[in-house]
Amino acid sequence: MQNEPVDVLIIGAGASGAAIAWSLLETRMRILCLEQGPRLEDRDFPSRDDDYELARYGKFSCDPNVRGLKQDYPINADDSCITPVNFNAVGGSTINFLGHWPRMKPSDFRTKSLDGVGADWPVDYETLAPFYDMNDRNTGVSGLGGNPAYPDYKPELPPIPIGKLGQTLAKGFNAMGYHWWPSDVSILSQDHDGRQACVNAGTCDLGCAAGAKGGTNFTYWPMLENAGVELRTEARVREILVDDSTGFATGVLYHGSDGQVHEQRAELVVVACNGVGTPRLLLNSTSKAFPNGLANRNGMVGKNLMFHPLTGVAGVFDEPMLGHEGPMACSILSQEFYETDPNRDFVRGYGLHSGRSTTPMTYALGGYGIDNPIPWGAEHREIMDNVYPYLAGLTVVSEDLPEEHNCVTLDPDLTDSDGIAAPKITYRLGENTRKMLRHGEEQAKEILLAAGAKKVLSKNDDKVWWRAGWHQMGTCRMGDDPETSVVNGWGRSHDVKNLFIVDGSIFPTAGAVNPTSTIQAMALYVGDSIKTNIETLFD
Amino acid sequence: MWADMQRSLLDAILDELIPPSEDGRIPGAGALGVAEFFPTAEAYAPDPMGAVQTILNAVSGEFVALPRDEKVAELKRVEAACGQAFETLIRLAYMGYYSRADTRPYFGVGAHPIHPTGYPVERESAALMDQLTAPVRARGKAYRDAK
Repeated sequence: MQNEPVDVLIIGAGASGAAIAWSLLETRMRILCLEQGPRLEDRDFPSRDDDYELARYGKFSCDPNVRGLKQDYPINADDSCITPVNFNAVGGSTINFLGHWPRMKPSDFRTKSLDGVGADWPVDYETLAPFYDMNDRNTGVSGLGGNPAYPDYKPELPPIPIGKLGQTLAKGFNAMGYHWWPSDVSILSQDHDGRQACVNAGTCDLGCAAGAKGGTNFTYWPMLENAGVELRTEARVREILVDDSTGFATGVLYHGSDGQVHEQRAELVVVACNGVGTPRLLLNSTSKAFPNGLANRNGMVGKNLMFHPLTGVAGVFDEPMLGHEGPMACSILSQEFYETDPNRDFVRGYGLHSGRSTTPMTYALGGYGIDNPIPWGAEHREIMDNVYPYLAGLTVVSEDLPEEHNCVTLDPDLTDSDGIAAPKITYRLGENTRKMLRHGEEQAKEILLAAGAKKVLSKNDDKVWWRAGWHQMGTCRMGDDPETSVVNGWGRSHDVKNLFIVDGSIFPTAGAVNPTSTIQAMALYVGDSIKTNIETLFD
Repeated sequence: MWADMQRSLLDAILDELIPPSEDGRIPGAGALGVAEFFPTAEAYAPDPMGAVQTILNAVSGEFVALPRDEKVAELKRVEAACGQAFETLIRLAYMGYYSRADTRPYFGVGAHPIHPTGYPVERESAALMDQLTAPVRARGKAYRDAK
């Protein structure tokens, strides 16, 4: 079945797809977005149910292999110590992300020049800063201005409460003489733009039924659809089509909600499927011109997969920390150990995040992102009664370095419900990262004790959190050299001149902060570059 | 769903997995009726009833009458012998117990669905934030220039 051609076809209605659609609105081009997931209605959010925690282990799990819904694709992560997580719906993974909103730092864009590792980005912090600001305005960001860990900027809304847990940990950081700051969050600290302020429910991963969290289902999409952007849901793209004679993308084949395969033609194709979904789609799009996958003449599609490997340390305090009250991932953030220090045995660095405590069931099952239930019996009773309520923890969020052997390929056997080959993850934790995590654990213990913890709980097993591949980056990296990168400095494929990629897959390096703010700023930057270069876009 | 004897046995097992508090204030999983969760748990484990039945079959017929320390020893034996089924039983027991609205308050968490009311948390005053962040600001710039 064929549909009327459009000017711009965007694949994916998550963070980056929505942002670039907004950027391109002013061109008055006809824009269509295909999203494999459905729209979520208010009743779909489990946080309105009595047994809301159960959804975390079923239809609202962050792990597509657990959800197993029709719109999900399975991921083979047997050869990885971290499994990718995501969500497929209008809003993409901003449905279940935690809204932590730190920017990348100036040094993150220059790791090769400064530290001799990774790769320099074709853009720098100063270039991206106006797009961070623009995206923050569209999203609604709360935080405290004056953070000395960044060039000056000020979030529009006041910070969310850091709570008893945050205040306690802040005193520990201060006692050690270390940096910390209230987290920037894409969560509304007050009513804003017709959206309701956060009610401190603490279950951000179950989707924000209040609309306080800056998922694109609540931020960009209402604006986009009011402005005439067409959003076609339950439309899973099978492959991107190319004209073998011109080498240009002509459109896509997709499986529609009617069960039929449709052809959708377009002048310009934008891929926004995240760091696993995007290489999967390109590798599935083979043709005479691109037998090894679209935009993959140099074989770089899928390589250099980066996550943010995590570990955590928790302190047990004398008083209840009320850690379940307030946005889940974000209270305060320390970047004391973020930059390279030649006195350490690793390069680059990590952040210390004070995520809040989770709810009782999730704690009993091992914690969010972990799948290792606490003991049963008398020890269970002791932990739940005398440890759980008194916990405050620090998560070590490390910078992963790009390594070609960490990659996304296609699984030879596994497919989604439409028979499309599923992604396979091959990932090893780098030695640099391992050293960084060990260092972070030791520092976190000292900080927790300085904050007044009477006991510190640490795994000390050299393992990272398993269900923690939220941040998927690097698999279609940007760069000036067509031999070593997939897209150029403004997101255009080196091989296919009317194909753009705008999600985290284009990151040359990962930084050590949650990437969504940067993903969207980059998508706005790519959109702006398209507009700037519109006369010679396909040259 | 359960024969009386099976239900008594399952309740006794559950009361050892999540025992009541010593003061009796917090009930154990058996007394709370977590057994009723298993038949509804297919979304969370491939064969929940199969796992439960495996454990019921493996546990000594005298289990209910055993003293507490012997119950624990018997369950450790079954855990070693039936690892996968026991793991499923534990996971589902925790889910059944903590998904109940009436258990959350024992751990300081509200019984209510978390939306729309959430929790009232007061934002720190500007003066308190100034005071807390003063040492950080006093240390000055904390990032590297990249030029």
